[in-house]
Amino acid sequence: MAIKFEQVNFEYPSFDGTNFSALKDINLEIAEKGEFITLIGETGSGKSTLVQHMNALIRPTTGSVTIYGIKIEKDTKKKGKVKLNPLRQRVGLVFQFPEYQLFEETVLKDIIFGPKNFGVKESVAIERAKQVIKHVGLDEEYLKRSPFNLSGGEKKRVSIAGILAMEPDILVLDEPTSGLDPKGRDDLLKLFMGIHNDLNKTVIIITHDMNTVYKYASRVLVMNEGHLVYDGLPQELFSKENIKSWNLDIPDIITITRQLEDKLDVNFDSQPHTIQELFELVKEVI
Amino acid sequence: MKNIIIGQYLPGTSFLYKMDPRSKIIALMILMISTFILKDVTHILIMLGVVLLILKIGGIPIVRIARGLKPIMILLLFTFTFQIIFIKTGNLIFDTELTLTVFTLPLMIFIILFWYLTRRYIKFKFLYLLITAFGILTMLSLYTPGSVLSSSTLEVYGDGLSGAFFIMVRLIIIVTLSTILTLTTKPTDLNLGLEKILKPLSIIRINAEEIAMIISIALRYIPTLLDEANKIMLAQASRGVDFTEGKFKDKVMQIISLLVPMFIISFKRSDDLANAMEARSFVPGKRRTRLHTLSWHNLDTTVIVFCIFIFISAITVRVMF
Repeated sequence: MAIKFEQVNFEYPSFDGTNFSALKDINLEIAEKGEFITLIGETGSGKSTLVQHMNALIRPTTGSVTIYGIKIEKDTKKKGKVKLNPLRQRVGLVFQFPEYQLFEETVLKDIIFGPKNFGVKESVAIERAKQVIKHVGLDEEYLKRSPFNLSGGEKKRVSIAGILAMEPDILVLDEPTSGLDPKGRDDLLKLFMGIHNDLNKTVIIITHDMNTVYKYASRVLVMNEGHLVYDGLPQELFSKENIKSWNLDIPDIITITRQLEDKLDVNFDSQPHTIQELFELVKEVI
Repeated sequence: MKNIIIGQYLPGTSFLYKMDPRSKIIALMILMISTFILKDVTHILIMLGVVLLILKIGGIPIVRIARGLKPIMILLLFTFTFQIIFIKTGNLIFDTELTLTVFTLPLMIFIILFWYLTRRYIKFKFLYLLITAFGILTMLSLYTPGSVLSSSTLEVYGDGLSGAFFIMVRLIIIVTLSTILTLTTKPTDLNLGLEKILKPLSIIRINAEEIAMIISIALRYIPTLLDEANKIMLAQASRGVDFTEGKFKDKVMQIISLLVPMFIISFKRSDDLANAMEARSFVPGKRRTRLHTLSWHNLDTTVIVFCIFIFISAITVRVMF
């Protein structure tokens, strides 16, 4: 197991002394390879807090997180011996807002900032930058531009490129597709899928888009008020009864399928994942 | 970072909350000036007593104020040490020869090294530092075997000690008073109060309303910007920025990686705020009506009279004694 959560609780300290409990008794295991996980839940349910535990940015109040064999507990840092920095190279975390991390004069410098911090030679880092900028759907010309003169979507891509250039073993993305147009969103998701398929790396995505969950994910985690309420296959999740109480939507494709089943008064053999699959199923029936 | 409590409002119901912000600001000014008038340790201690009494009656936990004093601890310690070392008047209370010998020099280095390595395991870091410093001083004055490398005298004079204590108490009083104001007054009330107090300045063409607005927005954004800074730190940490270790050259780069996003975000925030204000038809300098108007009660008069009483007594004791 690459990442293992054991009875993790996390509280945000508050000014008036009453602590806000963001994570409650989380138990979770994430494999190093071959998982495409989506993390869903309403705003404030603890998704971002959960992923910040995955590369030891924050430490649990009680319980422990084990990342690549290194056990992280409340007072891990105080004991001094443990180096947390290498973990952040192995588990790459992309934050929701690119404004929080872009700071260099050029996109190139910004992308190689991460790898250089982890001791990669500058020439190697530049080579990587030239590759990843194409992966995120921008061309090499962008490398010379200032990151502050880019559009919101382009900034987002550059910030993702900055993490990809670190070549992490596990890629964690906090709402990578928010603020992007449908095409940009699909391109990026295909990129993550490509990383997952070609390199067999684990990818974890926070999202609010149920279509993404249903179409891409091999495993889905649902957070609700600090609890991890569901951990399993997306197909099973959307057939559950209490999905409404977690304030989650049903993916469009499932809604359409159910309505068709109703209208045509049939039962399809399988649950389709794409319009194409649905089309095939309908053709069989008719 | 959570320790900085300036600009944080703490809900409550005591008399401090019922007061008009104008009277609170005026009272704060009067009490601060009174504190600066006092020149004697006993008097400043009485003043500290008054402030503690205000805290007690006002129902503000002292622990909270103490937490707010933590960031200026270093400043306090610094002034304290300087006063003790450099004021050489009054009667000599304590003097000792500090001798550095071939034996005590390595011992001292060892103690400092020991402190440096073990401090992270100790819960009361500040106390630990004090004990270590005191230990070194004691050793230097009492334990003198071997050949002498250098020696100096440490002399503590009455005026130095009382002066150091005096300045420390004065700083604590000032910070506590201003913390009381921001803890018990909502930013909007504070803004309105300031505006009303600065109103007479319009005679010399200074727009009080704008100044009050600038101050209240600045206060309001302290916690928000701290929050942003924290998020930037996390985002850069996940790109391998390690704020605790690294060479000096790397450290400079790390600080830049914090500052640039910080500036960009603050500019963007202020732009957004300006737009939001304009969208609600805010025009600087235009006359506005208020939902809540300020009203002056007997309580306010009482408090102001009390403060003026303290002010007069401060002048009296200054002149008389």
